[in-house]
Amino acid sequence: MSSSPAILPAKGPADRLTALFWRHPRVLLAILLTPPLLWLGVVYLGSLAALLLQSFYSIDEFSGVVKEEFTLKTYAELLRPSNFDILLRTVLMAAAVTLACAALAFPIAYYAARYAKGHWKAAFYLGVMLPLWSSYLVKVYAWKLILAKEGIIGWAAEQTHTSWIIDGLLSIPGMEGSSLSTSPLGTFMVFVYIWLPYMILPMQASLERVPNSMLEASADLGASRGQTFRTVILPLALPGVIAGSIFTFSLTLGDYIIPQIIGNSANFIGMAVYQLQGTAGNIPLAAAFAVVPILIMLIYLAIARRMGAFDAL
Amino acid sequence: MLSDRSPLSLRAAAIGGLLFLHLPILLIFLYAFTTEERSFQFPPPGLTTQWFGVAWNDRPDIWPPLWLSLKVATIATAIALVLGTLVAAAMTRTAFFGRDQISLLILLPIALPGVITGMALRSAFGVMDIPFSVWTIVLGHATFCIVIVYNNAVARLRRLSGGIMEASADLGANAFQTFRHVLLPNMGSALLAGGMLAFALSFDEVIVTIFTAGSGTESKTLPIWMLDELIRPRQRPVTNVVAIVVFAATLLPILAAYYLTRGGSETAGMGK
Amino acid sequence: MTAAVEFLSVSRHFGPVKAVDGVDLTIAEGSFFAMLGPSGSGKTTCLRLISGFEKPTGGTIRIFGEDVSNTPPHLRNVNTVFQDYALFPHMNVRDNVAYGLMVKGMGRAQRHAKAEEMLALVKLDAYGDRKPAQLSGGQRQRVALARALVNEPRVLLLDEPLGALDLKLREAMQDELKALQKRLGLTFVFVTHDQHEALSMADSLAVFNEGKIAQIGTPQDIYDRPATRFVADFVGSSNVLPPDLTRALGGPAEWASLRPEATRLSATGPVSGPVKALRYLGSGTRVVIDAHGTEIAALVPAGQPVPAEGTTTAFAFEPSALHLMGTK
Repeated sequence: MSSSPAILPAKGPADRLTALFWRHPRVLLAILLTPPLLWLGVVYLGSLAALLLQSFYSIDEFSGVVKEEFTLKTYAELLRPSNFDILLRTVLMAAAVTLACAALAFPIAYYAARYAKGHWKAAFYLGVMLPLWSSYLVKVYAWKLILAKEGIIGWAAEQTHTSWIIDGLLSIPGMEGSSLSTSPLGTFMVFVYIWLPYMILPMQASLERVPNSMLEASADLGASRGQTFRTVILPLALPGVIAGSIFTFSLTLGDYIIPQIIGNSANFIGMAVYQLQGTAGNIPLAAAFAVVPILIMLIYLAIARRMGAFDAL
Repeated sequence: MLSDRSPLSLRAAAIGGLLFLHLPILLIFLYAFTTEERSFQFPPPGLTTQWFGVAWNDRPDIWPPLWLSLKVATIATAIALVLGTLVAAAMTRTAFFGRDQISLLILLPIALPGVITGMALRSAFGVMDIPFSVWTIVLGHATFCIVIVYNNAVARLRRLSGGIMEASADLGANAFQTFRHVLLPNMGSALLAGGMLAFALSFDEVIVTIFTAGSGTESKTLPIWMLDELIRPRQRPVTNVVAIVVFAATLLPILAAYYLTRGGSETAGMGK
Repeated sequence: MTAAVEFLSVSRHFGPVKAVDGVDLTIAEGSFFAMLGPSGSGKTTCLRLISGFEKPTGGTIRIFGEDVSNTPPHLRNVNTVFQDYALFPHMNVRDNVAYGLMVKGMGRAQRHAKAEEMLALVKLDAYGDRKPAQLSGGQRQRVALARALVNEPRVLLLDEPLGALDLKLREAMQDELKALQKRLGLTFVFVTHDQHEALSMADSLAVFNEGKIAQIGTPQDIYDRPATRFVADFVGSSNVLPPDLTRALGGPAEWASLRPEATRLSATGPVSGPVKALRYLGSGTRVVIDAHGTEIAALVPAGQPVPAEGTTTAFAFEPSALHLMGTK
């Protein structure tokens, strides 16, 4: 037994390379990281840099040719009333969608975190996960079917003689449309539907971290259900709400498919970017529009980080 | 004491919420069988299965986008699998300078709205005079698919006891043998799950794709075809038939990914 | 006898933390060597330095005379039984055991035959087809042992291998490991924080404290003649006497250790104190006396009278039993 050597010879390049990795762990690290960092660094960061660069160019108003000189003129254009309206409308929509998502998500997240056990828990998880992952366009399309004047909502309203409710909603200033499918209200509903799962999951994750014993302690100390909810559950769920709101807010800010298909064709940031780079050919202004959500999200993320939302991700 | 039974109102709200998430999709199925092809009339005036035949036989415009989407998703997934696994392997090692910055960089393509990723790539192609092609689409898709693979791989690597890699080296295996005989078998299902999610994401993607595809018909993916049909509808039930196919193509991978990674804290799907 | 493992002023620092600090060590071939110490004392790091999972920041390590500074773990002919066993979860027991032979290129039939042989040695012949998850803790431990031994290593490293087992199994495994080591004539290096385990199994042992070796010697040496207060305190249940008490008892003004077995109660003596506690041990009774603030334990053999708690008594011992440890 003791005849074998204490040190085995390296057999072949694989052994020698392994020895090299062991002696210089950074070599292996560099080999692992170089391809993905080249990809993300060059392709993605490079593209973002190109975007930023373009946003500082301007377009010649007469020839329509991009002038490759540094200027803040394009950003100033964002403040023109017609463009500023777009920014304002988008941010308001994102805020409204986020609030609605939070309200709708809470009972689902709370029930799944607190009461669902075993198979029910798995069912709830899948029940949220599947709509999250299933095709975005198919979901938008489904709502086009639902909200159409001749669609299921109109039919149900007619059957129950409640069409006046829909007509009433559609006559509210700012919500006008011939049907829900062409009203900003429809845009709002579809946004809420599409992004809702993104709110439920982080909310559920942070609620699951509230131990039942803590709720019982609160009840023991004589708190009513409402007090327990306000003083214990809500503060503890807040990081999850903020984490979820990062998704709902950011996704709404950038979306341009939903308002294009459902609603009154009022412009949103995403649509402005899409149209400006396409038919209008004004790439500098499109780039400047695209920089706005980045800035908004950076501010949002800074606030969220301070409120501890990242622990819930 | 708190009861372990939920209040009826809460249960109703929770189940109502889940139904709200699922019922709309069912309508897609219903409308694939309607006899009314010019409007979304409810209830359908009649039911027919003819649209499946029409989609299969009489709509040659469906097939090229379908093949293109399959091709793009396959290539993007393959690239994402390699790159995502590499970063995951690097990130589970001990701390090194720039680690946090790298994890942010991986996350950025899905953390920022798709329109930004799309517009950024579009700008870069413009600046560098790169013509639109299948490869410009793949470039965008692979970029946001990396994080999906990465998330799955990192979760599994974290759960895997580090001891088994050391045990393998201790028993005389070199790095490549350890990778093949220990790491890969234990990572397999997580990578498969990550790959399937990446495939589903790529197959369905439209927001970035529009910016990177150009306007030619040869670079029209299936989601872009669907979007065209939504804006300028003709034979609406045929769109529903295609929607069912797209729905299945995204649903089956996520279901499979769920079953592959179930039972750990790493269950697939968080953070699309 | 040749040295299986040599440490020449070996250090392993993690930034400001000196996990191992200037350790000199020689482990004789064929010996059962224990590294004993509290957690964080550097003993496990020393083991990982031998296997190659840590690299020294200073000093030289030799295995059978060869400097291993540039030798990665997979080329060192030493194998480890890991604390959590680290069995490959995706392989059955037979493939786990045959793993080392497989990566060295041995054919399937041959390596499986060898694995079965080794499984028989650890009395797990019938378990080859099971997955590690289907085994008990003790069985996993044996698989880990077989998986290391099948490679015929020159040194076997064991990292707290019995730590996860219950008391009864642990004692049985202690005897088995010792017998196995004798039979194979292999060098075992064994890390533990359990002084009884170290004393009962090892031929020689090193006591670690704060990255340094406090004492190295045979179990007898260390038990009877602890070099420092730390060793006296950590190993066994010796009485540790401060200098003034040693002098009061007729010795020099030095720290000293005194084993309870060598201490008996007496009617008169230079130092006396009240009985603070009594513990019946079966073979005798352990009597703890408060001697000027220092607890002195004495062992009263069975059948002899035991004083009641609170009564004052003196104690005595053979002068040779008092082991001096210097003034520090």
